[in-house]
Amino acid sequence: MARSSIYVGLEIGTSKICVVVGEVRSDGAIKILGVGHHPSAGVRKGEIVDAETAQTCLHDALVKAEDRSDVMVKNVFLAVTGAHIEGLNNRGTIRVADDQTEITEEDLEEVKEIARDVSLPKENAYIHSIIQHYYVDGQEKVLNPVGMLGQTLEADYHIIHGVKTRIQNAIRCVREVPLEVEDIVFGPIAASQVVLNREAKQQGALLIDIGGGTTDYVCYSEGAVVASGCIGVGGDHITNDLSMVLKIPLARAERLKVEHGSANVNHSAEGDVIDLEADSHFAGSKIEKRLVSEIMAARLEELFMHVRENLDAEGLLERLGKGIYLTGGTSLMRGIDDLAQEIFEVPVQRNELASMSGPAALFENPQYATPVGLIRYAQLLEEQRPRAGGIGGLFGRIFGGK
Amino acid sequence: MIEYNTDDQSEIGSGGDFSVKVIGVGGAGANVLDRMALEGSEEAELLTLNTDLRALSTSVSSNKIQLGATLLKGMGAGGDPELGKQAALEAVDEIRNAVRGYKMVFVSAGLGGGTGSGAAPEVCRIAKEEGVFLVVFCTLPFTFEGKRRMDQALEALDTISGYANAVITFDNDRMGELIVPKDGVTEAFAAADKIISQSVRATMNVVADPGIIRIGMDDLLSALDAEDSRCLFGYGVAKGDSRAHEAIEQALKCPLLDKGKLLENARNVMVQVSGGDSMTLFEVELVMQEVSKHIGDKTQILFGTGTDKRLGSALSVTVISSLNGPRRGHGGDDDGGSPPPARISSVPSSVATAAAAAQTAPQSPLAEAVSAAEAVEKKPELAPAAPPVSRSAGAPEETSEPEAEVASEVESEPEPVAAAPEPDPVDPDPEPVAPEPPVVAAEPEPEPEPVAAATEPEPVPVAPALPVVEAPVAPPEIEPEPEPAPPVLEDESPVEPEEEHFEEEDVVAEEEAPSVLNPQIQSQSRTVVDPEIQRRPVVQAPMQLVTNPIAQAFGAGEPEQEEELEQVVSPPAKKQVVPPPRRAPRPLTPFASDDESLIEVDSPETDSVVANLDNSQKIRLTRIVPGETGTQRVSAKADDTGGQPVQPEKKRIVRKKVAAKSAAPTPPAEQEATPPVVESAGSQEMLPLDPGSKGRFEKTDPTIVDGEDLDVPTFLRKRKK
Repeated sequence: MARSSIYVGLEIGTSKICVVVGEVRSDGAIKILGVGHHPSAGVRKGEIVDAETAQTCLHDALVKAEDRSDVMVKNVFLAVTGAHIEGLNNRGTIRVADDQTEITEEDLEEVKEIARDVSLPKENAYIHSIIQHYYVDGQEKVLNPVGMLGQTLEADYHIIHGVKTRIQNAIRCVREVPLEVEDIVFGPIAASQVVLNREAKQQGALLIDIGGGTTDYVCYSEGAVVASGCIGVGGDHITNDLSMVLKIPLARAERLKVEHGSANVNHSAEGDVIDLEADSHFAGSKIEKRLVSEIMAARLEELFMHVRENLDAEGLLERLGKGIYLTGGTSLMRGIDDLAQEIFEVPVQRNELASMSGPAALFENPQYATPVGLIRYAQLLEEQRPRAGGIGGLFGRIFGGK
Repeated sequence: MIEYNTDDQSEIGSGGDFSVKVIGVGGAGANVLDRMALEGSEEAELLTLNTDLRALSTSVSSNKIQLGATLLKGMGAGGDPELGKQAALEAVDEIRNAVRGYKMVFVSAGLGGGTGSGAAPEVCRIAKEEGVFLVVFCTLPFTFEGKRRMDQALEALDTISGYANAVITFDNDRMGELIVPKDGVTEAFAAADKIISQSVRATMNVVADPGIIRIGMDDLLSALDAEDSRCLFGYGVAKGDSRAHEAIEQALKCPLLDKGKLLENARNVMVQVSGGDSMTLFEVELVMQEVSKHIGDKTQILFGTGTDKRLGSALSVTVISSLNGPRRGHGGDDDGGSPPPARISSVPSSVATAAAAAQTAPQSPLAEAVSAAEAVEKKPELAPAAPPVSRSAGAPEETSEPEAEVASEVESEPEPVAAAPEPDPVDPDPEPVAPEPPVVAAEPEPEPEPVAAATEPEPVPVAPALPVVEAPVAPPEIEPEPEPAPPVLEDESPVEPEEEHFEEEDVVAEEEAPSVLNPQIQSQSRTVVDPEIQRRPVVQAPMQLVTNPIAQAFGAGEPEQEEELEQVVSPPAKKQVVPPPRRAPRPLTPFASDDESLIEVDSPETDSVVANLDNSQKIRLTRIVPGETGTQRVSAKADDTGGQPVQPEKKRIVRKKVAAKSAAPTPPAEQEATPPVVESAGSQEMLPLDPGSKGRFEKTDPTIVDGEDLDVPTFLRKRKK
């Protein structure tokens, strides 16, 4: 691994398409060479609905990224999302053959196969199968069972799956640009590579990536992914809510959201009024700031409650030692951390990206967590590849630590 | 309401007479029986056969026969099948008597030992000679018990297979996997026994309870039809939110199915899904989807479902199939092929309605759909308006399965039937319709009770609402008449759609009124009506339901409002009473002229929903005058619809005019038309879909979580609540 390699992360989001070109140096450090982004069109709720329009936008973003990084992009890692994507945990068990006492790599493969053998809906396909822990003869949380003596080998896997055709559509769209898709990654899994550090993953952390069209989350505990999922509600919904309730055009609603919006109702005093000046499409109006907050808070509260419900079922909220990390464009909203804290009752932090060299200012923006995370993901994947058959300690644990 | 007696369908009489016998042979068999007895088995008689007197004496089953009393003197067979066989032969008469007269016998035995492998085949032979339907559940020994025992077991199994109609074998080795290794030996064996007793019970239930979608002995046989007559069996039961998933998972996890992998080669797979009343069609579908993942294309699924109150909130899945090597490929396809049509034809009426309901409202719980009738039945307790209720209950069933069902209903409800055939010509129909208002009038007394109902959102006695106002005129005898009227109309509806549909409109509305609460029923009502022509009336009907409560609220609760109501409603009502004679001669035209013109204005034929909207809007307008509750809703509604490009203005005007007309002494038809219109306003708000409020997400896939459409602004949804 004494060479440096260049990876490209591509996220086709509901609000923007972002291409990040990053170089992984031989010492493992990541340098971002260039970023291209473009407001996206033809994407709804994280999924492409109009391939041609989306491709045009993608092309623009790609050209920008290539210009800035001076790299010809051929392969990309593609982040996928969409409300159809779900995560579940499953445990696989095998009995090691009687005449064999030590657990081997093949056994791991086999147990993985069994753990993966969950009954998914017919149209669904695996996106990730992430090892959580092994158990050998009841001994818990074995990290690397190869070489251990044991009769029964169990493995807990977190499986992320989604509707095959919907994922394929995204891939196909990218291929037609043309770009080769090296791998697909569920958005928050990528984002968590840069947003969560090893300590956070170990102590338990929930990453909520509130994007334009979807809200993705991934929950880590004891270094492993324990829950993940996607809700088809994002910042666009907030804009839409404002537009619908206040009866103002969408564009004005978006501006209102960004400029004056707050998820904390207490931020605005009773009687504060926002004056929306008139323009050619809009007669102008005065809007109570508090009402704006109420609309936004109602939406976000509901959104958080849905995430919470999904985690509560497994009692994961108690295991969030490091609390919640908010990322994604919507996490820039004022007051959103207060609201999240109120609902989840654990500490909430806005996203801070792990340090990285390059035009840093850009990467502190949570909007780029996912595409930058893709680079990290690619790096981890690369690291793991040559080792897969060998020492094996990290096999399959690539997502667990950094 | 008409009950379809499903009991007749079960091949072995369920209930009192014991026609199922479960025989446990040997130690293992007795254990299974004990387990069954512990879990309570009223359905079957249990009989334990053993050579070992001590083991026999500890058994809790109701009947016991000692084998080889003289030969073995109360000792066990000592692992020698020959001794076991001799012992059984000694008691052959007793055994014969025990199985005689039973239609179905289950034998459970642990093969490998002396009694199990020796006596069990004899018992089977005797049972077979008595001509019973014989299902054998046996366990094969653990591998560690040695090859000899395994050979004995296999030999016995071979013999048994020759006698039994079906053999279900449980491999003890595999049973081991089912049990957590840490569990104690006792628990391990208890779990094994439990599995067997479960499967005995499940098999019994499958055959004894026909269920909604019948599955019976023939299905069982074809599922088990294979050369080596060994079974694949899976059973799962689960509660809670994801019970369907869990139940099928459990079923597939059963060691016999090896995670469903063994199903791949099966030729016929029988699946029975049963659950309490809360089981939904979706859950059934989920289970079946899951099953279908594990089976090959050539496999026939014999599917049955039924509700079983004993299951409560649990849902159980039983999968039975036969181990079928590839060698037997599609040999028996023909015998497998014939059953399905038969089954379909034998689907009881309720299923048909359920299916129909499911189509219109896929989210409605299956059970509800099926038992909608029951539910409605219960309502009379709440409200005195029993007759209309029962009618409405009957109606959906009737229409959904016109041929057979109608006939059966006729039997059960002789009066209406008699009425029905006569009115055939359209003219007579109006008569029943016209009298109806008075009928309601007869019910002013119920009013106090309805008040209670009114406080609830459920205005069960919808009928009273209108009638209350009309009360003065009502002749009491008319009461029976409404009953006949609706069935008549519906029966005829297919025949003469054009004319009747107006009347139906009224009738349907009244009929359904009682069921205001149930959206299911609304949806069912749709199924009732024939697709195109009648759609309009149907749509209106639900609306009526909702508004009725409001009307009731006025009528029931506050005197002031009552006055108002009278102003609005009562004059027309009285007029209604007057008109009937007029209408009778020319039923079509009066309705058609006024009523239809209205409808026409409101709704283009194709787009009933829009019509709805318009209607509701207009209605709102008219209603705003009287009610507080009404107005609130109206305002909320107005918001939503405001965004939509409907042309409200014009239509409102039209409606206003109509209202004005109705206030004045105009033709009766209009008055009739107006009240339903008013009523229709409310229902619209009840409908789950709220068109026009999703803004830019209008055309996207809805994001629905927990039944809420997340694309609609949370703020608006909250405010509505």
